[in-house]
Amino acid sequence: MGFLRNLGEVFTILKHIFRQIFKRPFTSLYPFEDRPYPERTRGRHIHVRQNCTACAQCVRACPVLAIRIDKADKMYEKDAALYFDYTRCIFCGLCVDACRFDALYHTPIVDMAEGEREDLIYGPEKITTLDREPLEWRGRRFR
Amino acid sequence: MTPDILDETVEVWFGPQHVSAHGWATKLKLVGDFIVECDPHAGYFHRSAEKCLEYRNFRQGSPILERLCMLEAFLAEYPYISAVEQIAGLVVPERAKVLRTIMMEASRIHSYQFWWGQLSAEMGFFAMTLWPWVDREFFLDTFEELTGVRHSPHFSTPGGLRFDFTEKVLAKLEKAIQVLEYNMPKFEDMLMKSPLFRMRTEGVGQYSAKEALRWGLSGPNIKACGIPMDLRKDQPDPNLAYDMVDWEVPILEHPDHPGESDAYDRMVQRFNEVKTSVDIIKQLIPQIPDGPIIDPKARAKANRLPEGEAYGRVEGARGITSLWLKTLEKAQTPYRAKIRGPCFHSYYALKHLVPSARFADFIVIFGSLDPYPGWWDR
Ligand code: SF4
Ligand code: SF4
Repeated sequence: MGFLRNLGEVFTILKHIFRQIFKRPFTSLYPFEDRPYPERTRGRHIHVRQNCTACAQCVRACPVLAIRIDKADKMYEKDAALYFDYTRCIFCGLCVDACRFDALYHTPIVDMAEGEREDLIYGPEKITTLDREPLEWRGRRFR
Repeated sequence: MTPDILDETVEVWFGPQHVSAHGWATKLKLVGDFIVECDPHAGYFHRSAEKCLEYRNFRQGSPILERLCMLEAFLAEYPYISAVEQIAGLVVPERAKVLRTIMMEASRIHSYQFWWGQLSAEMGFFAMTLWPWVDREFFLDTFEELTGVRHSPHFSTPGGLRFDFTEKVLAKLEKAIQVLEYNMPKFEDMLMKSPLFRMRTEGVGQYSAKEALRWGLSGPNIKACGIPMDLRKDQPDPNLAYDMVDWEVPILEHPDHPGESDAYDRMVQRFNEVKTSVDIIKQLIPQIPDGPIIDPKARAKANRLPEGEAYGRVEGARGITSLWLKTLEKAQTPYRAKIRGPCFHSYYALKHLVPSARFADFIVIFGSLDPYPGWWDR
């Protein structure tokens, strides 16, 4: 009896596995395809220097000291240059919460791999511009 | 005369490089195929979380807590938030309470889904590794829609929440639960009924309720022995919404060995836990009240705390998770934070559980207790 029951249960498992074979794969071919990211995605930041008031609240809010501020570097009347160190940043979003002047935002760009450590420190030029549209997925460029 | 293999003991280090040992190491003494001594070593995953907390203010603390256990991130950050709220005397809005509870239960389900896959992988049952992880993706999508990241959400903040539910989040959560409920019978067939899986787990790593209490186990590991020990019921937190729901603590009484649990029982118990969590979420979703998610003055109040001590606790996916916090007058950072992780106790229970087991059963016993290294190396 026990043997027959075990055999029946093995067949149940085989049935589930057999069904699975005909299902569509759940994974995607990542470098060639990507999925849409939601609106709140906490990716790399963008700094809007026109709105910035050099209040340094973002620097104080950061739990891992990933932001450095250079108040002497002025492009507009009262803004400041920000340096983001993405080797440290944990994408907690506290700096964006802390900025009350709409000068700091997350973007949906999450693929920021670089070959050199220094390239991950985003200086004032890199952090204020997007080198590509947030909606232009990285994978499409390789096709 | 050839020497007998049973005459001498062999010392084996299980981890830290072993594939199943993700950041822990245990010294085993073997005689033949049997383990005679087990010496768990903590410290290979140490990131000084407690010290880090002392250098961060009260809003910056929870990202550290989440990293102790990524799988139950919504639960792991709560004890700290709760302790800060108690010291500062913050009032949490009703909507925040309900949303917090929903996300904590979702996080618990997600943690068990990961664990099913992990245990199966450690036993070499690879089909069952990937199927629960596919379902888990739907929960991760919910977390991403809600907070913007899949892991380490940093959802709660002292006095309320950082992110509000939207229609899209609710739709994704409902879809995740739908998929889970559709696939649960399949997983039960694959794990609970599978003769091979039963042969590996039944009678392995068996302990009684008395021993479990002495070792300080909690959560599903003790509920599988038939003891309804659950913080959600025993000490209802005023800032969570478990009193709005009608639910029972899930326990397991095995007919053959009541009051004891083996690896198989602990697996069945985790199925029961998931069913309870789904039930709680389903009851709470229609009851979500309207209103703010954070008290507007909470931010200023959490800047400087009065002198005090508080003990925040929550029933985590692996057991009782708590944090003791002490602050000095007008403090910007904690004076001391002491974390009590649930897995320290289950890890050191191996010392008593493993001797006399076979070497191949070691990873089954370890996996069935569901330990996570972050909780003992903090
Ligand atoms: S996202 Fe968090 S870690 Fe990163 S720069 Fe902002 S505050 Fe710092
Ligand atoms: S980005 Fe915002 S918070 Fe940071 S210095 Fe500028 S205005 Fe202040």
